[in-house]
Amino acid sequence: MLKKIINFKKSTSFIAGIILLCILFILIFGASIISPLDPVEQNAAERLQKPSLEHPLGTDRFGRDILTRTLYGGQNTLISSVVALSVALLIGLFVGLVAGLFHGTLLDAVLMRIIDVLLAFPFMVLAMIVAGLFGTSLFHLLIVVAAVWWVSFARLARSIALQVKSETSFAAAQILGASHLTLILKELLPKAAGPVLVFATFELGTLILSISALSFLGLGSQPPSPEWGSMLADGRDHFMQTPHILLGPSLFVILTVLAFNLIGEGLRDRLDPYEKFE
Amino acid sequence: MHATTNMLFEVKDLEVTYLQGDQREPVLKDVSFYMEQNETVALLGQSGSGKSTLAKAMTGMLPHSARVTSGSLTIGTEQVANLTDTSTPWQRIRGRRIAMLYQDPRQALNPLMKIKDNFRELLQDHQLASSRDYLQISEQWLYALNFQDAKRVLECYPFQLSGGMCQRVCLALALCLKPSVLIADEPTSALDIVNQREVLDVLKTVQKQYGLTLLMITHDLAVANSIGDRVLILNKGKIVEEGNTKKVFSKPQDSYTKQLLSARSLLSESPQRKSVSFQSKQKLLEIKGLEKQFQQKQVLTNIDLTLHRHEIMGILGQSGCGKSTLARCVMGLETINSGQMMYKGTDLSKLNNKKRRAMSKHIQLVFQEARGSLHPGRTALQIVMEPLHYLHLGNRKERQSLAEAFLKEVGISSDMHARKPPQLSTGQCQRIAIARALVLRPEVLICDEAVSALDMHVQAQILKLLQQLHQKFEFAILMISHDIRVLRSFCHTIAVIDQGRFCEVRPANALEKESKNAYTKKLFHSALEMEKGLSL
Amino acid sequence: MLLIFSRKILEALLTLGLATSILFILIRLAPGDPVAIMIGQSSDVASSNTERYEQKLLELRSEFGLNQTIFQQYFIWMKQLILFDLGDSIHTGRSVMTEIADRLPATILLSVAALFIQIVLGILLGVLSALKFGRFFDHLTRFLCVLFASTPGFVIGLVLLSTFAVTFSTYEINTEAKLSRLWLPALTLGMIGAPQWIRTIRANMLTEFGQPYISSAVSRGLKYRRIVEHAFKNTLLPIVTMTGLSLTTLISGAVVIESIFSWPGIGKYALDSILLKDYPVIQGYALLMIALVIVIHLVIEIVYSFIDPRIHRKGEENVKKDY
Repeated sequence: MLKKIINFKKSTSFIAGIILLCILFILIFGASIISPLDPVEQNAAERLQKPSLEHPLGTDRFGRDILTRTLYGGQNTLISSVVALSVALLIGLFVGLVAGLFHGTLLDAVLMRIIDVLLAFPFMVLAMIVAGLFGTSLFHLLIVVAAVWWVSFARLARSIALQVKSETSFAAAQILGASHLTLILKELLPKAAGPVLVFATFELGTLILSISALSFLGLGSQPPSPEWGSMLADGRDHFMQTPHILLGPSLFVILTVLAFNLIGEGLRDRLDPYEKFE
Repeated sequence: MHATTNMLFEVKDLEVTYLQGDQREPVLKDVSFYMEQNETVALLGQSGSGKSTLAKAMTGMLPHSARVTSGSLTIGTEQVANLTDTSTPWQRIRGRRIAMLYQDPRQALNPLMKIKDNFRELLQDHQLASSRDYLQISEQWLYALNFQDAKRVLECYPFQLSGGMCQRVCLALALCLKPSVLIADEPTSALDIVNQREVLDVLKTVQKQYGLTLLMITHDLAVANSIGDRVLILNKGKIVEEGNTKKVFSKPQDSYTKQLLSARSLLSESPQRKSVSFQSKQKLLEIKGLEKQFQQKQVLTNIDLTLHRHEIMGILGQSGCGKSTLARCVMGLETINSGQMMYKGTDLSKLNNKKRRAMSKHIQLVFQEARGSLHPGRTALQIVMEPLHYLHLGNRKERQSLAEAFLKEVGISSDMHARKPPQLSTGQCQRIAIARALVLRPEVLICDEAVSALDMHVQAQILKLLQQLHQKFEFAILMISHDIRVLRSFCHTIAVIDQGRFCEVRPANALEKESKNAYTKKLFHSALEMEKGLSL
Repeated sequence: MLLIFSRKILEALLTLGLATSILFILIRLAPGDPVAIMIGQSSDVASSNTERYEQKLLELRSEFGLNQTIFQQYFIWMKQLILFDLGDSIHTGRSVMTEIADRLPATILLSVAALFIQIVLGILLGVLSALKFGRFFDHLTRFLCVLFASTPGFVIGLVLLSTFAVTFSTYEINTEAKLSRLWLPALTLGMIGAPQWIRTIRANMLTEFGQPYISSAVSRGLKYRRIVEHAFKNTLLPIVTMTGLSLTTLISGAVVIESIFSWPGIGKYALDSILLKDYPVIQGYALLMIALVIVIHLVIEIVYSFIDPRIHRKGEENVKKDY
């Protein structure tokens, strides 16, 4: 039975991921319909309540329903991570393909040097530095994401471009007189898009995890806005007394990242299936 | 046919199917054959005939998606394996009773292990040597296989040896367990003709010396001819003909065998082109003192070449000699280190990107990998329209009618225009690639091993097509190949290239007789030796 | 060989120079006057009369060279870096170098312990999972990998902490870097990183199993264990790269775990300094991390070229290659 549930064959994980993501989307973006409670309004009488029928995940120290806040908070988290990562993806794809196409020229060398330099800044470190120098906010975090996260996409896109360049069909297009733009759009992009998108699904999960970790440290978005990160930061100080405050946002972070990872796994297995060895 | 006394190896009623999607595709149907002691049997089949599956089935190494539905294996008098049974103790059979040789010898050795460690593990696992005396034993085996400096070879990693040497090492590894049967799965097809001879000679010697029963699986008529006592012809998973090699090749019974042989003779018969003088004709391509290096390694040295209008020039060379690099240099896919490449007075190496692109109207290339050179997602018609589109020639309608006309020229009927490369045969793909190159009406067509990846009879068809198109459109052809037979019958002039240098350039019909070059002679010798008794 | 090494070292130095320059730009772009913030910390001056305040501001500005042009500031800054002078912490007044040197060993200890756990788990489960391809164990391992890879590190940390410190009281909560307090944060970090290792090793093993040299070894009748060893040897190369990458992730990402377990490492120190706006410390931390990452990358490349004979011997023997 368990084998069936966790069977990764025949893209079960992909379907499971899609279903999970759909449920989360409906919950998160239908928050105002699902929950009658207000995510921001404080209610001193109901402070720090344990989970109950009325408040399935309990209430926080201002008496607000945690489930409601978690659902509303997902909107901010999801939209902002997707936007920031998309920007990074577009930059990375473009830089990577251009560097790959002009492999061996000065342009490639310069782009690779820039990538090397940015690689010297681990995301967590740069996010901490920026938070320290410019102040803590979700917006700053997202700027950092767009500024450095493209590097991993660029490296992937470049390696795919180099591989495609060694294929005969690319040489054929070249000698038939295709321009640089045509080569990028018609030969490199279609082949790079698949793997890069799969990679992006995994990276989206990683990004949500990183942002939640930074928020947990108090370096992300700030209370009182209903956002997973700020809720985590809020619950952190009282964790030992009231661990349930963290439960809601943590659970949703796990489920969302799990959904993206499952989709990524499924897609990757479709791209390169392994032959069984005895 | 089973009534032989010293029958050593027998496969009976072998049937294998592959799981494809939800369906079972039969790959081998009702295959039965035997081998006598000390006999060499050649199993001849084209790609996709199921010959590799056969080799795997005999050592229990089929992939998971394959299933043996019936079949048994007998060695000597003992039935060693019911092939449908998955619990066969293969470990006692593999290596000790049946040894295997693989196609790509370099990949058949662990890249991170020295040769001596391969011997050590093997001899220890089979309890034939201790950690003290294994070196001595392995040295003896290497000497037995014509290695001059066995000690040095033992200390080498596979990448430090040539393909032929790797294959001989693999052979030594196979022989040191003293198996009674050796199955060689295309052991020479990844090697060039000189290495190929070397391995075949060694195989013949050891087969006699150690009384081996050898099953030689190959797609090459010449290889089968030169080594097999008997030959089995495999077509679409069935053995269609078997018998004494000479008899089968001189009096083939089955229609498929006949087809194979006639395609072969089509290639081999030399129409003995009249030596035409092209000196008076216009020089199209003129290369002088071309040099090309890859990371300090000299790939092309001082290449001089002149191609005249309407001339067909062949460039003969083995793999790794730099002949493909030459084609890539002319097409501008590689930059050259020094020298001149003139096309009607313009130096190709000094063009900027835009002019370079425009040059594709004049010089075109057809690749070896027919299918690989076509975009898998586009239809035949779209593929031929591609270059017109890239160079902004004509409007949509004109492009389409031009493309249709050229597809007709290469014999692709209109019902196939909407098909994509995966739905077409390799031969059809190559026709489309030729149409795509010719639609720009180039004056020079470079064919880089354009027929070598094709099955024999398709090769003959494509060569014939190229000849017709050459007559009609009057372009010059630079035909790059490793195959003497193809060039001899097809070209006016042949240039022989070895290790990046031109050895000689001569008229095709005079090359064999007049050549004084040792390398050319060696090539001819190797090729003709294997053909003995084949060219009818 | 030497030529390649010196070239790589030069490249690493260039990267280091460029990266530190970016850091300088970031620091100068930051809003607010560091000197004003600094004075704000020592409340005795700020609260007294404004004239003395202004005067103190000017004094400190010239002391930090803030009244010179940006280029001059850059050169002064660079000179200080080369002399390993990172300034003093605003908060404690001690030199940033000593503050960092005090805390670095704790972080390195934690990272290496966590790396060890990751490698052991990764090799063990990765190889087993590949050998049991398609079986129950494989599916279970893969599912747990995805699950753990989807869980934030602090959740794992908090769950472990509340289990061992609160429920079982086997873990003492204080701020000492004792060996007896190492195991729980190390285990947490190990569990966070292990899925990546397991997945990579499993995938590499499966790729190697598909290589012709494996089927050739099988056909020679080698023992099962030997064949697994063959494949494993070839998976070791990517492991070197992963070790380096994991180490950078561990050292830079230990912040969360250090802060949960009150482990007195460099990450926790940096976090506290950020909340206190202790600029010299933030700058020192950033420089340390950048330098560490670049050095680790350099070491990977050098180690890699030593263990792969194909790279190692290039140039000595003629490598035959088809063009």
